[in-house]
Amino acid sequence: MELSEYVQKGFQMLADPGSFDSNAFTLLLRAAFQSLLDAQADEAVLDHPDLKHIDPLVLKHCHAAVATYILEAAKQRADKSTLSTYLEDSKFDRERTELFCTEYQNNKDSLEILLGSIGRSLPHITDVSWRLEYQIKNTDPRSHPEISFSCNMEQLQDLVGKLKDASKSLERATQL
Amino acid sequence: MLLDLSEEHKEHLAFLPQVDSSGQETRQRRVVFCGLGKEAEGARVSHDVLASVAVVAEFGRIAVEFLRRGSNPKIYDGAARKLNVSRDTVQHGVEGLTYLLTESSKLMISELDFQDSIFVLGFSEELNKLLLQLYLDNRKEIRTILSELAPDFPSYHSLEWRLDVQLASRSLRQQIKPSVTIKLHLNQNGDRNTQVLQTDPATLLHLVQQLEQALEEMKTNHCRRVVRNIK
Repeated sequence: MELSEYVQKGFQMLADPGSFDSNAFTLLLRAAFQSLLDAQADEAVLDHPDLKHIDPLVLKHCHAAVATYILEAAKQRADKSTLSTYLEDSKFDRERTELFCTEYQNNKDSLEILLGSIGRSLPHITDVSWRLEYQIKNTDPRSHPEISFSCNMEQLQDLVGKLKDASKSLERATQL
Repeated sequence: MLLDLSEEHKEHLAFLPQVDSSGQETRQRRVVFCGLGKEAEGARVSHDVLASVAVVAEFGRIAVEFLRRGSNPKIYDGAARKLNVSRDTVQHGVEGLTYLLTESSKLMISELDFQDSIFVLGFSEELNKLLLQLYLDNRKEIRTILSELAPDFPSYHSLEWRLDVQLASRSLRQQIKPSVTIKLHLNQNGDRNTQVLQTDPATLLHLVQQLEQALEEMKTNHCRRVVRNIK
């Protein structure tokens, strides 16, 4: 994992007990995860009284650095040893390294879901509704916003048959 | 409901009552006259009006024939020669009549509404009567033709599917994300329409379950009774 000087600098500042005491460190760490995972989070996430004594520029720098690192680690599926190595290289002590790894582990799944949801895909079917209609006479066609189409019994059986083939194939694939 | 005839439409139809008065030779007029048949005999109206009515009746017949079997441009040429007018005039006249008939039939307007609608054209009483009769005689058949022409609702043709597994993306490496890609083939107005869609395994099972319920529903007594008794 290649990280920029900006990120490295941020981590070095975060490692320093003189700049960040234990409490401040924990708060900043949690704020970073919150910014990424909580859809409602905003800049106020850094507005904690116990962070007020720290230079806002430093706060923002470290917050951005941690957030960047977390995303990159999650994207690359970094394991604990990769994380530990990087943190130790940034002069994190034992306690801070452990804390970081624990927080990361707790939030890993959510991060992966978030990252996995980014991207383009084809229109995704979410549900189906159906209606049985016995056509006695022709009615005026109406336009529907979603995809609608009509089919007779044989066609519906064909459609269901094909979808069942697909799901059986899916089942077999999961057993490989 | 009254028909809304556009200016262009009215112009095209305006040709109809003028046919007899466009400087034709007597002989030609008689040819048209005889074409009308026995109904013309004994009718105590002027030759001019009768000729016009005869021509319109002929055009009406052509218009309905065109609706049944498609248009035949050669007929325009023949009629244009006989009446000593331009081909365009004949074509517009027939097309104007066709549109009048299809719109009236489509909307199934009442006799009174039809009469009021064509009143704006300023035709003679005989001509108006003829047009009304033309409408009433042919509207059922025209409606049948129209319904065959425009099945607007897409219908199922077939479906292709494919199982995919996403292994990685720009945002996340080392994934195993199964998905089912579906190519849905639909028919619409005789054209093939294709939709490419995707879904996840859980939704696929849900879709199958829901649609099987639809099939099950067809087998219930209720549906069977309806299908059996209403033909």
